[in-house]
Amino acid sequence: MPKYEPLNPDDHGSLRLRPRSGPDPHFVQIVPSEFVAAAASSPILFTKHPETGNFYAGALFNFKPDEPALKSASERGGFEPLALQREGFFTMNEGIVIDREHPRFSDSEGEPLFDDARAPSVQLRRIQRVLGQLHVGLSETDAFIRALLELKLIEPIDISLSFDDGEKLTLQGLYTVSMDSLHALDDADVMRLFRKGYLQLAYIMAQSLRQIAILAELRNKRLASTI
Amino acid sequence: MVRPIRNVVIVGGGTAGWLTAGVIAARHRSRIPGNFSVTLVESPNTPIIGVGEGTWPTLRTTLARIGVSETDFFRECDAAFKQGARFARWTTGAPDDAYYHPLMYPQSFHQINLVPHWLVRNTGQSFCDAVTPQGRICDDGLAPKTITTAEFDGLANYAYHLDGGKFSVFLRKHCCTKLGVRHVLADVRRVNLTEDGDIKSLDTEQAGEIEGDLFIDCTGFKALLIGETLGVGFKECHDVLFCDTALAVHMPYETESDPVATHTISTAQSAGWIWDIGLPTRRGVGYVFSSNHISLEDAERELRAYLGPRGKDLPLRKIDIRAGHRETFWKRNCVAVGLAAGFLEPLEASAIVLIEMSAKLIAEQMPACREVMDIIAARFNATTHYRWGRIIDFLKLHYVLSKREDTAFWRDNRDPATIPERLQNLLLLWRYQSPWYHDEFDRIEEVFPAASYQYVLYGMGFRTEVDPEAIAGEARLAERAMRDNVTHTERLRSVLPRHRDLIRKIVEQGLQPV
Repeated sequence: MPKYEPLNPDDHGSLRLRPRSGPDPHFVQIVPSEFVAAAASSPILFTKHPETGNFYAGALFNFKPDEPALKSASERGGFEPLALQREGFFTMNEGIVIDREHPRFSDSEGEPLFDDARAPSVQLRRIQRVLGQLHVGLSETDAFIRALLELKLIEPIDISLSFDDGEKLTLQGLYTVSMDSLHALDDADVMRLFRKGYLQLAYIMAQSLRQIAILAELRNKRLASTI
Repeated sequence: MVRPIRNVVIVGGGTAGWLTAGVIAARHRSRIPGNFSVTLVESPNTPIIGVGEGTWPTLRTTLARIGVSETDFFRECDAAFKQGARFARWTTGAPDDAYYHPLMYPQSFHQINLVPHWLVRNTGQSFCDAVTPQGRICDDGLAPKTITTAEFDGLANYAYHLDGGKFSVFLRKHCCTKLGVRHVLADVRRVNLTEDGDIKSLDTEQAGEIEGDLFIDCTGFKALLIGETLGVGFKECHDVLFCDTALAVHMPYETESDPVATHTISTAQSAGWIWDIGLPTRRGVGYVFSSNHISLEDAERELRAYLGPRGKDLPLRKIDIRAGHRETFWKRNCVAVGLAAGFLEPLEASAIVLIEMSAKLIAEQMPACREVMDIIAARFNATTHYRWGRIIDFLKLHYVLSKREDTAFWRDNRDPATIPERLQNLLLLWRYQSPWYHDEFDRIEEVFPAASYQYVLYGMGFRTEVDPEAIAGEARLAERAMRDNVTHTERLRSVLPRHRDLIRKIVEQGLQPV
């Protein structure tokens, strides 16, 4: 059970933060400022939030929900999504809330959150920056997706993969930017997308799809080595 | 000199008028306003009748083609999902007598006819449950999709229940702001004819003279153009379908979280049947009956009994039903759509689907010029006649299959003199072979697919003789289809949300267009 507490030096003056541990999940939400770094190692796709049906963008790290990421952070060129970096921390209104039960928090191990003067430590200031970037990034994502939807540029993508162990996987509920529709836009719309930086984001997403085959190959190698 | 068809004038602004306007304008969008126009003339004084209405899944395609958003449709039309109809007390009249006519096709319908296999197995499971998940989904009150399913897509097939009055307003807004339909609020005072008898123009009270090349009569029961002006007669079918009166009522929910039925409930009574259509805001309920078989007072008593104590004082509206249709639907340069074309008891929600089909036919076959219009008109008439005939047959089928003996209404309905010959022949045929895909019901003009006939026939206990040896060759395919149905049913029941919950979510958060 998560236990949410507003972060403050009175209650959390001696609380320490450990590095994240455990495997990375198979799909992690990312924001536009992360697209370039993510695309170097992972496919970027849209999916829908199961509760609201709203689209969000994410990096695909593996093909099955119950399997950990195929590449470690260092194999991803050090790319660690903001959504993972901030684990245990949340923003609420203007303040920060923590999940006191999250295993990152400890009374004895890790780096302190506050310094002796009860000011945020280097660690915490880094988290604050991450939360800030994420906050801005999420509304950027929403605006990007809205623009794509208005121009009918989002389309479902069917990814069917056959692995060497005979398993066939069909990934559902994933979406990408339709290059056909993008290229059919009139000049005024293209210019609008370009000025907002969305054209570049769209191309990054489209190009990142080649990472699917690379990840699939990697998974095949893992399967071969575990047999 | 060739007289091109460029100006379409629709008279009447109900569901028929606006749906037809939307379908035609969307289809001819690229030439509006250049060399084509759609004008809808509507009286500012005619009240819109808002009843809860049932539709067919065709409406999803129609709405998508017109270009509206399904989310907006839910928000503005008090819409709900309809996954079929549940017919209670139609067969024996017993309290537990009921079957579903769902909208999903039987499992693997395009590969195999499961009817004979189900008949041979004879396990006591209903035909519906043996071949489709949809009856169970309706029992559980589940929606046919989730919040992550795109607009107009479904995990289970669906149509809608909607508020007809609000639907007209919704379509009007879209037609006028997005599709370039010209809206004229004016009362028609006079219809002017040319020398050879075409409609030339309308004289209106508020907007002067309105000329047109093709006129579409959506004036409802009045049939101002096709009937009053062009004198096309009306062909009644009371000799087949006896119901001629309806008492309608709006039934409020007890609380805002009451479940909303995701199917039409049709409950047979002593001299007709009661419809019960769940919108998120209220239920629309009504008793359709034969005034030759029951008095108005007794009908009201049966309806109040159905409603229960909470319906004791609700005001009822009486609607006269003149069952039948025009002798001709397209005459000269005038075509009738909606109630002006005809009306039947709403047993299988045929009103709106017929409007869609007629509008689509007009839009797609829009005559290029007056010179070829009569050819198109002849086609339109042949197709539309066929459709009305099949709907009448299909409605009558529900009555013919009943085994009820309790009143003259039910007994009279089985009098062979009241059963159309075509239907009698089919009933004979079906005793030896069941209707299926590669049957006469796969014509493009068809309103109800063969699957619908299967659900009604075998839902009502009809039996077709089966030679087990004749179907032995496909026994494994049948077994697999029925097994797939079990898996499919379990999966859908585990992922689908409650009907009301999904409607609330759609209204609050919206569905995505993809």
